[in-house]
Amino acid sequence: MIRENYLNRINSTNKSFIIYKTIKGFDLFTDFSKKITLNNKNIIKFLNQKHKFKTKYKDTDLMIGFFGYELLNNLIGVKLPKQKSINFPKGIFYKPETKISLKEDLIYQLNSSQKIDKKFKINIDLKSYTKIFNKFKKKIRSGETYQIKICTKYKNRSSIDPLDFFCRLTKSNLAPEAFMIKDKNFSIISCSPENLITKNGFKISTKPIAGTLRKTKNFNKNKALSFFRNNIKETKEHNMIVDMERNDLSRICKPGSVKLNKEKTVEEYKDLYHYVSLITGKLKKNTKNIDIIKAMMPGGSVIGCPKISTLNLLNNQEKENRNIYTGSFGFIKFNGDMRFNIIIRSILNYKSISEISVASGVVIDSNAKHEFNENFIKAKALIDLYK
Amino acid sequence: MIYVIDHKDSFTHNVVHQFSLFDNVVCDDFSKINNSKLNQASTIVFSPGPGSPKDYPLSSKIYKKFKGKKKIIGICLGFQQILFCEGASIIEQSKIYHGFQSEVLVNKSSKLFNTGRKFKVGRYHSLKLKEPFAAENFDITMRCVISGAAMSFENNIDKIYGFQFHPESFLTLNGKILIKKILSA
Repeated sequence: MIRENYLNRINSTNKSFIIYKTIKGFDLFTDFSKKITLNNKNIIKFLNQKHKFKTKYKDTDLMIGFFGYELLNNLIGVKLPKQKSINFPKGIFYKPETKISLKEDLIYQLNSSQKIDKKFKINIDLKSYTKIFNKFKKKIRSGETYQIKICTKYKNRSSIDPLDFFCRLTKSNLAPEAFMIKDKNFSIISCSPENLITKNGFKISTKPIAGTLRKTKNFNKNKALSFFRNNIKETKEHNMIVDMERNDLSRICKPGSVKLNKEKTVEEYKDLYHYVSLITGKLKKNTKNIDIIKAMMPGGSVIGCPKISTLNLLNNQEKENRNIYTGSFGFIKFNGDMRFNIIIRSILNYKSISEISVASGVVIDSNAKHEFNENFIKAKALIDLYK
Repeated sequence: MIYVIDHKDSFTHNVVHQFSLFDNVVCDDFSKINNSKLNQASTIVFSPGPGSPKDYPLSSKIYKKFKGKKKIIGICLGFQQILFCEGASIIEQSKIYHGFQSEVLVNKSSKLFNTGRKFKVGRYHSLKLKEPFAAENFDITMRCVISGAAMSFENNIDKIYGFQFHPESFLTLNGKILIKKILSA
């Protein structure tokens, strides 16, 4: 096993590295021999890239990185209007030469100095949020969308040690799709709970989350389940996402193979309960990874439904580029297998600016103030790290 | 072959999968119709979708051209599209059903389903048929048990069928049976 001060050592070398949650602990990828910055043109070539067939692949035979939101829109033919942008790369993938397994309990002693500002600025206040909210509610009445997620952004100026933030985040909120990237001029820290694509051979699955409940005393998993079951609004939102994800898998799977394996179950995390379903399918022959990515991304549960018309409504509303938010992080192995999450609950640090984006859903019976506060609750776990 | 016309919905491929259990299915975007495939098809399906029937004049044109010549099936927006072409008004409803499971009841005018039978179905619609509505050979054959809203119609002369609910949704129990019946009608 790895020596305890490993994380301290790698962090002090100024090497770029990535950490990604596994079932038992974490994998750390480093010694990158290649770095591809994606744009709307080279992404096609990147996704169609074929690797030499081997009978045995190394566990570093993969490309790991992320697709930003704009890149994924463009890939499915949804155009974004001109937005305020910080010119952060649309997507980056790395080829690691070293993979190291770490235990779940990450040990790291902070020894660099951080300049942390505790205050965050929000880009939309309650008044403008309510205005957008009411506009979208009208669109629901007229049938243009059935569910739409309004995104708000919190920003501040800080220079942070991403590894310190990530280690603290995994202690307060250990999420199954957590990851971090530390590169020369940016870092990403995320406690994403949501798996969008797990592909092994012909088997594919997606695990949408719709419904979150904060843990309180005297609450247990069964009580959480009956809370969700009895809450009509949560149930309707969740149903919609399940049908949408079944649809997206149906585009690439054999007829009759798409199954709802786990219907509306509760998963328990340190601070919260999630309402989760698991949908699986068997891929049609000759389905390429680019087809899978186009069918599944951007992940529906964080956009709304139906996907295309809702994306258009969102994009025409939002003044600022979402960057990584509601994009996907994960890897493509050289044998074709993939794992991707949805990038939510994350911090992007770029040019000493931290940005945290959150979104919550508008359905016909939601309430503007409640959803606005819901956004803050989602951001709070990350904002709390700034102290 | 069944030709599904997709109104850019996030449920269309569930429809495609469900119909694929019975026949070959070809699915194209409503704005990119393949006319030779459309002509070859024995059945045309108008998919669900956002918005209202007046937003899809191309689909209305296809309906009018093939009415009586091919079997035509409409789901959700598709159901409204067909009725709209038959002179109906499609209006906003006070209570909106998105991701909602409710019960529908088969009435006497159905030729395909037993009178009095109830189905649990999944609904995703903002709009509904304005009633009273009448068109030659069209009968409303299922209604929501609670609100009475029109949930399906049959035109057994021209072989035109429609569901306001989603037979392909996981919320619809026995959706496969519903589709099998109208395909073999």
